Formats: sequence, structure tokens, C-alpha cells
Amino acid sequence: MNKPFFLWKHLNKLRWLTLITVFAMLITIPYLHVYQTYLAAHAYDLLQPDEKQIYDTMEMLTTPFVDDPEEDLDFIKGNTWSGTFGGFQLSDPLSIVGQISASLKVYWPFILTGLLPFILTAVFGRFFCGWICPATLLYELNTNFAAILRRVGLHVGNKRYDRRLKYVVLGLGVLVSVVTGTVVFATIYPPALVGREIYYAVALGGFGSGAVFFMLTFLLDLLIARRGFCRYICPGGALYSLIGRFRLFRIKRVVESCNDCAKCTSICEFGLDPLKDSFGQECNNCTACIAICPVDAMTFYVSLQDIGPQGPGHAGPKYKRQQQELADGQSDNE
Amino acid sequence: MKRRTLLQGLIASAALFPLEGMTAKRQSSLRYLRPPGALAEDDFEARCIRCGQCGEVCPNRCIQYFGTENGLASKDTPFIIPREQACILCMKCGDVCPTDAIEKVERKMEPILEKVKMGRAVVDENLCLSFQGKTCGVCYRACPLQDVAIRTGLLEQPHVMSGCVGCGLCERSCIQLPQAIRIFPDYS
Repeated sequence: MNKPFFLWKHLNKLRWLTLITVFAMLITIPYLHVYQTYLAAHAYDLLQPDEKQIYDTMEMLTTPFVDDPEEDLDFIKGNTWSGTFGGFQLSDPLSIVGQISASLKVYWPFILTGLLPFILTAVFGRFFCGWICPATLLYELNTNFAAILRRVGLHVGNKRYDRRLKYVVLGLGVLVSVVTGTVVFATIYPPALVGREIYYAVALGGFGSGAVFFMLTFLLDLLIARRGFCRYICPGGALYSLIGRFRLFRIKRVVESCNDCAKCTSICEFGLDPLKDSFGQECNNCTACIAICPVDAMTFYVSLQDIGPQGPGHAGPKYKRQQQELADGQSDNE
Repeated sequence: MKRRTLLQGLIASAALFPLEGMTAKRQSSLRYLRPPGALAEDDFEARCIRCGQCGEVCPNRCIQYFGTENGLASKDTPFIIPREQACILCMKCGDVCPTDAIEKVERKMEPILEKVKMGRAVVDENLCLSFQGKTCGVCYRACPLQDVAIRTGLLEQPHVMSGCVGCGLCERSCIQLPQAIRIFPDYS
């Protein structure tokens, strides 16, 4: 029996850690900015008690790492839509698509900031959706909340639509960007929205109108379709699916050890069907199915294409019955 | 793709992108400035990806972001209301802007005078204290480009010169209420 590499079972925990870290950074960076402005103002004595609290907390957090916080904390800025790490800028590929279609100009320094995310997406597929996106953390918690609601007998949404809807949204978004000359993706793309709204809430005194839109997507997920926005609407997900169509790292089912328990299919956030070997370009390599599999029948492999349906798992009753029938048929023939 | 799918997509997208509101001509009565080095207004809205980094590096907290009050096209774009908090011309926002919607300008006199065109200060002589015989001169002292952007005459009466880039520090510091010196924005 070929067991998968033992660490892959723990990747899901690492993923949650990554998601929480990214989210925590999105909250911390605005606070660091506020702290920097207090420093620049040189007026500690004039701060309100709650402002002093922010100042003291941030001073405590950053003192071990920086000499001159007012300048050195410019090291890390921004959010997952576009960010700066020590002079190195990274941008979401969707922001580049949106910006080119809005301005109809190609500004190379900006496009190069999307190169690394682009390469990573080409290799790992839609990994941003499962591993980094700050909205994913909230959406997955929302899924867990829906599970609790379902357990107490309340109706939560489980409708299914066509997954290709999001490509229509992507195409129309590009079209609307060209017509109106604004980057419309920025206002409807949840990760951009979440990062920005957290910044508004922390540094500018309150959530903006984007938070309302985000709550609507939240309700869509809860009441109509599980992870509905990511699966059917998100233009970023559509773009990543296209870029990652021929990704290298894929998840496969080891048919020899699978026992058809279908836990993978029920855990899959994106409503894919690992049990029937349907991953495709939608899979975001979140590894939840690897983590939940009780018989270690899920593993990573490197390939440009999925292996396609493998039939029932060899450790399951259905496969045994098939084999039995085959054997019976052969004995009948003889 | 099935027609039903396409229709669903079109409906969903129509709900997402309120087209009419976005193309409607701006008729805002707001008087706001763009950050120093920002492109002309239409170019700026097309270039800006609304990442919010300009506000995050601004040490003076002068950069704010539009909600829907200036039309949907400029939603989440940065702006400055000089009377509330004015720009100190530190030029950090241009450095951090990934798309060059705010151009990179070196923090030196010549590049700033050449490239920064946020607006121009205009003195209301009926309000200005110095023009009423009470010596003031606060705007002159607040100006980072003294004797290039503003000079004082008799009784510290301010006279705006051609070097004014429109940072708004004079408007911010004016002790009259309402302010006697205002920046008139230049969006080109």
C-alpha cells in the first residue's frame, strides 16, 4: 500500500495558520500606520487614553524589530490586493487585468508586481483562494456556522449553479472596466474589499459601503449556496482557475486504499467531488480532503492533468461487490 | 454554455455593476484635492486600483477615501480635504503607489515645483485679517515653499505666486473662520 507523505495530512492546519496570519496582518498594518502617525506628530501627551493604548501596544510589538519606527515600519504596507514588502511590491493578477482594461495602457512596473503571484498560480492553481484570501477565512467560518445552523434544524442554502457563471462575471467586469474607465473589480472582489474595509475601520473611523456588499455575499453563502460567491461569482477565482488550469500540483485519490466513505466530498468547500476524482481547475489545493480522509487515500502528485475517474475505491464495499460479480460471471462462463 | 447559465450570469453581473451610476457625469460640489503627483482626474480613476497604500504611508493622515458621495467611478480613491488635514509634501504616497497613478516625485524643491499640481491657493481679501488691517501672516509661515509659492506684502498680506503647488497647509492653518485662503483644485 502506498501511503501518502505523512506531513500532507497536516497541511490543512498550516493553511488555517496562514489564513489567520494574513488576516491578523491586515488588522495590524493599519494599527501600525496609526502608530506611525502618532510618532510623526510627536504628541504622546495629547493623545486620548484609547489612542495611548494603541501607541503603547504597537510600541511594545515593534520595538524589538525596528530602530526608527516612523520610517522602518514603512517596510510592510498594503493588503492582499496590492502590497509592499521592503520595497518589493506584489499585486493580485486580477488588479492587473482590471487596471489594464480600465486604463487601456500597459504600465510594466505594475505588471511585474503580479509576476510572482502569476507564476505561483500557474504552479499551484487556485491556491490563493484557499491559503491567503482574507475573505476565505470569514467564508469558511461562515460555512462552519451554517453547519451548526443545519444541525439545530434550520434551513441553510445548498443550491447549486453552473460554475462557469464566474467567467461571465470576469468577462463582464473587464467590459465594464473598459467602458467606464474604472477598476470595477476593486469594488466587488472580496479580498480587496476586506483589506480595505479593515483599514477604513481601524484608521479612518468606520467601515465604508464595501462592508455592506461583503455582508450581502456573506448572506448569499449562508442562505442560498454554500461558498456561493467563491464558486459562482468571484472574478478573481475565475482568473485563477484559468491561470491554474494546467497547474503542476494536484490532489488525487489513491484508489487502492479508498473505502468510499465520501467524507472528502462533504468537506470540500467548493462542492467538488473528490470521491469521483473530479478536481479540475476549480480545486484550490486547500487539502481539507487530505486532512479528513480516514484511510489516507488522498495525496498530492505532480501532473499537468487530472487522472480522470478511477471507479469505486478498492477498500469499499462497492468495489468488492463488483469483483464478486466479475468472478461470478467468469465462473458462469466456464 | 447553456442559455440559462448565460442569463443567470448576466443578471448576477447586472446586479454587481451598476453601469448607469458609473458612467454618469460627475456633478459633485465637493472641493477636494488629489494626492501630490496624481494624474489627471480621468486617468487617475483608470489607473488607481484602490489598494489604499497611499493612505497607509501618509504620516500626516491627510489622505481619505471616497465612499459613494463623489459618484461610483471615484469610489475608494484617495482625496485630501485641506481644511481638515493638509499635505506636507513628503511624497511617500507616490513612492508606494504600485500603478503610478500617483507619480514618483523626489522630495526636492525642483521636482515638486515641476510635477506636483494639486491646485492653487486663492486669497479672499474680504476675509483675510491682514487685508483688514490686522497683521497675521500665518499662511505664509505655514507654507513649505515660502517666497516661491507665497510672499507677504504690507502688513503680512499674502500674495500667492506661480510656484504654489496646492498642498493646502495655508488653508489648514488659516486662523479665520471660514478660512480666507483656499486651494482651488487642479485636476488636469
